[in-house]
Amino acid sequence: MEVAFYLSALIAVAATVLAITRYHAVHALLFLIVSLLALAVVFFIMGAHFAAALEVIIYAGAIMVLFIFAIMMLNLGKATIEWERQLLRPRVWVLPALLTLVLAAELIYLLAIRGGPESSGIELVRPARVGAELFGFYILGVEMAAFLLMAGLVGAYHIGRREKKVIHRYLKKEEV
Amino acid sequence: MSSEDFRSLLPLLILAAASILLLVVIAVRRDHRLVYYLTVAALAAALAASLIPVEYSPRTASPLLVIDGFSLFYSALLNAAGLIVVVLSYTYLRPLREQMEEYYVLILLAVLGSVILAASRHFASFFLGLELLSVSLYTLVGYMVRSRDRSMEAGLKYLILAAAAAAFLLFGMALVFYEAGQLGFSGIGKYLAEAEALSLLIITGFGLIIIGIGFKLALAPFHMWAADVYEGAPAPVSALVATVSKGGVVAVLLRFYSEVDGYQFPVLALLFSIFAAASMLGGNLLALLQDNVKRILGYSSIAHLGYLIVAFLSGGAMAAGAATFYLVAYFITILVAFGVVAHLSSGEQEAEKLEDYRSLFWRRPGTAVVFTAALLSLAGIPLTAGFIGKFYIAAAGAQEGLWVLLFILAASSVIGLYYYLRIIMAMFASAKDPAQRIAPLFSGVGLLLVILTVALVWLGVFPQAMLDMINEWVAG
Repeated sequence: MEVAFYLSALIAVAATVLAITRYHAVHALLFLIVSLLALAVVFFIMGAHFAAALEVIIYAGAIMVLFIFAIMMLNLGKATIEWERQLLRPRVWVLPALLTLVLAAELIYLLAIRGGPESSGIELVRPARVGAELFGFYILGVEMAAFLLMAGLVGAYHIGRREKKVIHRYLKKEEV
Repeated sequence: MSSEDFRSLLPLLILAAASILLLVVIAVRRDHRLVYYLTVAALAAALAASLIPVEYSPRTASPLLVIDGFSLFYSALLNAAGLIVVVLSYTYLRPLREQMEEYYVLILLAVLGSVILAASRHFASFFLGLELLSVSLYTLVGYMVRSRDRSMEAGLKYLILAAAAAAFLLFGMALVFYEAGQLGFSGIGKYLAEAEALSLLIITGFGLIIIGIGFKLALAPFHMWAADVYEGAPAPVSALVATVSKGGVVAVLLRFYSEVDGYQFPVLALLFSIFAAASMLGGNLLALLQDNVKRILGYSSIAHLGYLIVAFLSGGAMAAGAATFYLVAYFITILVAFGVVAHLSSGEQEAEKLEDYRSLFWRRPGTAVVFTAALLSLAGIPLTAGFIGKFYIAAAGAQEGLWVLLFILAASSVIGLYYYLRIIMAMFASAKDPAQRIAPLFSGVGLLLVILTVALVWLGVFPQAMLDMINEWVAG
């Protein structure tokens, strides 16, 4: 158990350092995903299975969606195809894939020994308890988080909005 | 939660509901004036609600928030400051070609975050309130993306540095939680009272939390952002950063420190002493050679928060009272100062250079007199609120024997006098062309500035009423 924890923690730290030091955003994203997956394994070892699942779905999953979006939006012809081909060179994906494999092996091992966190004296936090805490003790915190997201949304809308530029009334430039 | 809980949370609920209402109104029809009136009404209602429900306090409305005299006083103060900023904003924003309506939503959310901070007694609400405040401010600082060059730069700078500071804060909280096993302030206090020896981890955690707070208060050496953000942000937003953002953080710092009895750690006291001394000297020295009035006010805010930390450090019976009184005085003063800057700005161009203020007295005598009063109060000249505030800080510090810090306070105040007087000298310099005098226009902002100036002088001459109120609400 301890070995598994330290191994995934090490992968998390290493992947984060690699994510920060990559020049290419897409390569950095790959390592960020590995880092988040490693964190999910750490959560799993600590008995927070629900948090581990959320980590995979929300963080790693959302980044994948963003990744696909970026490639879709930037689909600008031949240059992009060449660029995409470069993204898929083995040099780029082998290391993240290896790290993910290690994590997967760890997870399989953890599931196989079946001892689970209960045997090592770690309290298992089930989704029902997370929900009860969120909508009981922390209900105002959830509301505050909602307003935090609202502030972010309004801000992103304002900063990202593209203005209709009217140079002359005969030369109207429509919204791009 | 009972109906009394809802009643006691009324100031927060009003702000939250109003921000949603504004979004709905904007979705139906964009109308700057309507949104403005709704915002003013919401802030006024929240201000009234903070002053009324005394009979319910103290009330632990949720494990996260406590509504007592302290939080209600700060809530009233923050709502009042928000209200003044909104009034200043309306005439300032009107000539600009931006969509103005979201600005008011963000101001409401920033004030909400700050009030949450003032009422929080738990790390969760502490962090969420701080983030709500910061996220609203990122956009507000960079709101003029399309009409001003430096706006985006200031916003981005604030975003990156504030996010880094939030990471420090969060890591500090995690370390404290790891040791104490508690997230509530009182729980941590209980743990500390029972623990015989304190581990290095918990001290490190407190240190990291203090760094996060120090950043928000722009204490040296975390002050790098202050001048750039004050300069790049629209003048009313600079006022918001100087008042609402700092007020909420000071409130949560006072509450956190008194609940965990942080005064028992000499290491933290030393840390704060270094920050205070560096802020007082650094802020005043950096302001000396500036030619931009908004930058000068930014650097002076660093120094003023340094003074406030001296009051906070005294830790005696007077600490919370002296710090709060100083904050009230500083709020009024800086709102007048930025109010004048906003008042003199016209559409695309902000009146921020010292040149814009040269011989202002001969052109707009009323504005110049109001600005002079604010600058004298910032310098701490008798008969102004700033003087009484500094006097109480000195009294609180002397009671606890913080002589080195008091000496630095006195010395740096003298340095500060130079650049305040420089602006005043420029304003009263004789005009080359005396015919330029502009007939005084009657305006709401002008009236507001006069009222604030009267409050400034009144607080400097008869401080007793405010002191009694602070003693009853905050210290009691």
